[in-house]
Amino acid sequence: MTTSTNLLRTKSPGFGLGLRPVHYPDFLREKQAVDWLEIISENYMVPGGRPIAMLDAIRKDYPIAMHGVSMSIGSTDGLDTDYLAALRKLVNYVEPMWVSDHLCWTGVHGRNSHDLLPLPYSEEALRLVVAHVKQVQDLLGRRILLENVSSYLNYRASEMSEWEFLREVSEQADCLLLLDVNNIYVSSINHRFSAIDFLNHLPVERVQQIHLAGHSDHGDYIVDTHDHPVADPVWELYRYTCSRFGEIATMIERDDHIPALEELIAELDRARSISAESFEKVERAA
Amino acid sequence: MKHPQLSELQTGFHNHLLDLPNSFVQEVADGGGITVNHRLNIYHNAYRVRLVETLQDAFEKTWAYLGDELFESAAREFVEETPPHNRNLRWYGADFSEWLAKRFPEDLDISELAMVDWQLRRAFDGPNATPLRAEALAKLEPAQWETLGFRFVPTLFIAPLQYNTISIWHALDQEQTPPVAERLPEPAWILIWRKEWQPHFRTIKSAEQAALSLLMEGKSFAEVCSDLSEQFSEQEAAAIAANSLYAWLQDELILGTI
Repeated sequence: MTTSTNLLRTKSPGFGLGLRPVHYPDFLREKQAVDWLEIISENYMVPGGRPIAMLDAIRKDYPIAMHGVSMSIGSTDGLDTDYLAALRKLVNYVEPMWVSDHLCWTGVHGRNSHDLLPLPYSEEALRLVVAHVKQVQDLLGRRILLENVSSYLNYRASEMSEWEFLREVSEQADCLLLLDVNNIYVSSINHRFSAIDFLNHLPVERVQQIHLAGHSDHGDYIVDTHDHPVADPVWELYRYTCSRFGEIATMIERDDHIPALEELIAELDRARSISAESFEKVERAA
Repeated sequence: MKHPQLSELQTGFHNHLLDLPNSFVQEVADGGGITVNHRLNIYHNAYRVRLVETLQDAFEKTWAYLGDELFESAAREFVEETPPHNRNLRWYGADFSEWLAKRFPEDLDISELAMVDWQLRRAFDGPNATPLRAEALAKLEPAQWETLGFRFVPTLFIAPLQYNTISIWHALDQEQTPPVAERLPEPAWILIWRKEWQPHFRTIKSAEQAALSLLMEGKSFAEVCSDLSEQFSEQEAAAIAANSLYAWLQDELILGTI
């Protein structure tokens, strides 16, 4: 853990949730015990209507982070200028704390898989992603955050580990990182690597946000489904993450079997206490 | 060992998802608790599941009408034939209704219901607009009515109906058994639009449809009244025009005057 200098990230706004339409009425009714909210950018990249009206009302009370799923930063098709123009328009409108997307690709030859497909961890992929990140950051006039995806295969063409790749991308492109602790755990089981090694090799100063989510355990492998509460091994990994990275904006994602807001807030409270315990421990040690 | 370039790897991977010829299996690293084929299958399956779920979400009534099994089998066929091209998953399924007309040519009520599903969704997050209020029209001088035309809200959609799709829709909405599909005895059209934040629809008959079409082409309200009086008695024409205009104002369909 470092309390040091040269942190590129901004101060943590605390503990948040992914804003989902089913919870709009809860957020409109009264202030909830949630410090900030993350929106899926594409859900608001529409002409008008209720989603944007709800967001307008809710963002008066909560800082917003924007999280995209379609930038396809690693596609050899190059970046989609129409998508980026729409994203920039939404960024200007929402004025988010930050903007993130995934370190992946979603399609080639103009087709879209709508899946977050892994990249080979190669020099060629690194050069491509770094160039694309710089292009996006120039367009948006701010650093973006890239999230590690969960993956189910690796390429023979990989020349480095996923963490080395993440580190190189973030340092060469000068961007920030969104660490999905569940994805690290999922991939560590699927590819038999040490999740602790992963975390130990990431640049502390560049980690701006943490995602927590649930998964489906199939025994030999795990699928990142976002339809369960956060699993115990992921909480343990989160505890380690807090001790290494300090106070980082943390949020829970739930995209399927979405429970009542109170249930997610209770889950978020667990994140709050784990983070607080880790921080106290570090403070005492210091 | 020389590896294929990134563009070849991505083409191979995406072709694997689409069941197009590829040798991507050779590029996947071995090791771990599951086989390479299993790893590839996870992506192959996730691609289809995600798109079928997207169609279930966008075509809720069509899904209820066809039932789980038939809807899923049709949706899977559509997914195989229709790889997404748009960045936003929101627009996947834009041509599902037309596809269903080809898939079930003897049961065009299915395609018509899917059209209603899609257009309600399109209206849901279509462009915002501030409708014209009746008071604004009340202030007009009689002379202004001679050339007055109307612009309509951007979410307004009109399409002909051939079947009792609306009765089917309402039954499904109430979670009741839908009536047997049958052709309508006389021509009808559906109007779909958004009022405040809520998508709305209603059916209209030929006189109102004719009046709306003429106005949307830029004809004045006076011209529409005169056109109606060629088909109906003067009294009927006046009643149709007045009732239609009243309904459009109540429904918040009129955006402004021209």
